Amino acid sequence: MIMAYVAQFFWGWLVASLLLGFAMGWISVVQRGEGVTGAWGRALWALVGILIALSVWDVVPGRFGYWLDLGLIMFGLYLIGCTIGSWARARVVARSMRKV
Amino acid sequence: MRELVRSSNKWWSGAILLAVFWAFAAWTSTEPVEGEIAARSNAAVKDAVLDKKRVTVAGRDVTFAAEAFSSDGRSAALTAVESVPGVRLVNDDTRLVPEAKPFVWSAERDVVRVTLAGSAPLPSVRTKLLEAAKAGLGNVEVADQMGLARGAPPRFDAAALLLIDQIGKLKDGKLTITDDKVSLSGMARELGGREAILAALKDLPEGFSVAANEVKAPPYVFQAYKDPVASTLTLTGNVPDRNAHAALVAAAERKFFGEKVVDNLKESIGAPGSFAAVVVPALGALSRLSTGTLVVADREVKLSGDALYDAAAAQIRAGLGRDFPQNWQYKAEITVKPAAAPVDNTVCQQLFADLLAKARIRFESGKADLSPDSLGLLDRLTETALRCPTANIEIAGHTDADGDASNNQSLSEKRAQAVADYLVRGGLPANRFTAAGYGSSQPIAANDSDEGKAQNRRIDFVVK
Repeated sequence: MIMAYVAQFFWGWLVASLLLGFAMGWISVVQRGEGVTGAWGRALWALVGILIALSVWDVVPGRFGYWLDLGLIMFGLYLIGCTIGSWARARVVARSMRKV
Repeated sequence: MRELVRSSNKWWSGAILLAVFWAFAAWTSTEPVEGEIAARSNAAVKDAVLDKKRVTVAGRDVTFAAEAFSSDGRSAALTAVESVPGVRLVNDDTRLVPEAKPFVWSAERDVVRVTLAGSAPLPSVRTKLLEAAKAGLGNVEVADQMGLARGAPPRFDAAALLLIDQIGKLKDGKLTITDDKVSLSGMARELGGREAILAALKDLPEGFSVAANEVKAPPYVFQAYKDPVASTLTLTGNVPDRNAHAALVAAAERKFFGEKVVDNLKESIGAPGSFAAVVVPALGALSRLSTGTLVVADREVKLSGDALYDAAAAQIRAGLGRDFPQNWQYKAEITVKPAAAPVDNTVCQQLFADLLAKARIRFESGKADLSPDSLGLLDRLTETALRCPTANIEIAGHTDADGDASNNQSLSEKRAQAVADYLVRGGLPANRFTAAGYGSSQPIAANDSDEGKAQNRRIDFVVK
């Protein structure tokens, strides 16, 4: 219900997050470098986990709570966008490799 | 899949841009979201019966403050706010309206306004009472000092509305409901207002009772003024009802033989008990005065004026309150009229004849007891006798022809003697009077009609 409400209220920002994710996923397949790995990567995922927990249990009050929820939803859509982008780009790359 | 995991390590760099998006989204959306949620929450509790309702929103969290009139109403309102779409948390700042113990409500009237104060059980009841007061009182200002509280007795509003109906009957005063007891104080607008309010309070809803009724009515006033110049007796003020009115005027006409009775009396309820039993003898006392005023206000009788001679003044002072019921007060301010100039015997006889032509001395039927209605006449006869100090007077008793002649003879003698005794009590020497009885031997009219018989039953004064 929360999602439905936020989606209805600010779908523009959510679509923007999704598109940003898609673009990032698209690039990430062919980008050089390792990205964030190892301890940093685990720390970031742990941070996301903690934030989700805070959000689920409604620990953060008032406006900060709203901003947290909004951030997590946008982040979630970003991840979905990334996944779709990466998957699509991987398929495109694989097809062109076969042609070559 | 491994590809996906490997590339996901590189997604973090985009999160920086996402954070910028997020900051913008938070920046622009917070206030509209709060406004929207506040509007929806207020709409959700719009019809709930609550006092001091306040909704404040921070993010998607609602702080809901209100005073509820029952636990059910309180939880229903909370649930309504909780189920508003978009609301994340509800901070419950609601509480129950304080319970008033005892539950007191009052309507007070003073010169300029009616003030409703104390506790009302619900906002709607408060409005209803206020509107009833405004509607019932016309142009009188109505001030609302009522608060809201729980703990009203059942059917409180019906009782309060009934009291509001009564406030119009008060000039000033206060009507109070304390739990299920009603108390009243103040001054009724009109005579009988007290009784009218008491009668209306019989319709109080079940469970309510009148604890104290201290409403006072304006004094119940009756006045009689004997004016010797205009030869009138003016009656003003109040009498209890039509019968009492007629009886009082009839009594006045019997007692005041020389005066015209001017009847300005008004019939109204609220008379003190024994009203007639006090006013009739008091009128008798007034009839003995040359000029005088009788004022009966509630249970106070005041008689003032001039008696015709000293002994009469003393008798009136002593006799006024004798037959009054115990809880009546009375005051006699009796002075004595200056004695009139002496006259010779011829004039004296003429004066007696004039007086006795206007009225006859009356007795109790078949007895020799003087009727109280004749005291005014007897005082005038005494006054006249005092003006002719040298006259010897025969007091002659006569009867009609009914009945046994010897009885009539004896009755006429006794009656003549009773009149002579009255004159002697008035301060005249006994040796100037001869009481003589003639029975029915000297009729002045035919004994064949009631009218004629009445004329024959008489006392004559003969100056010798």
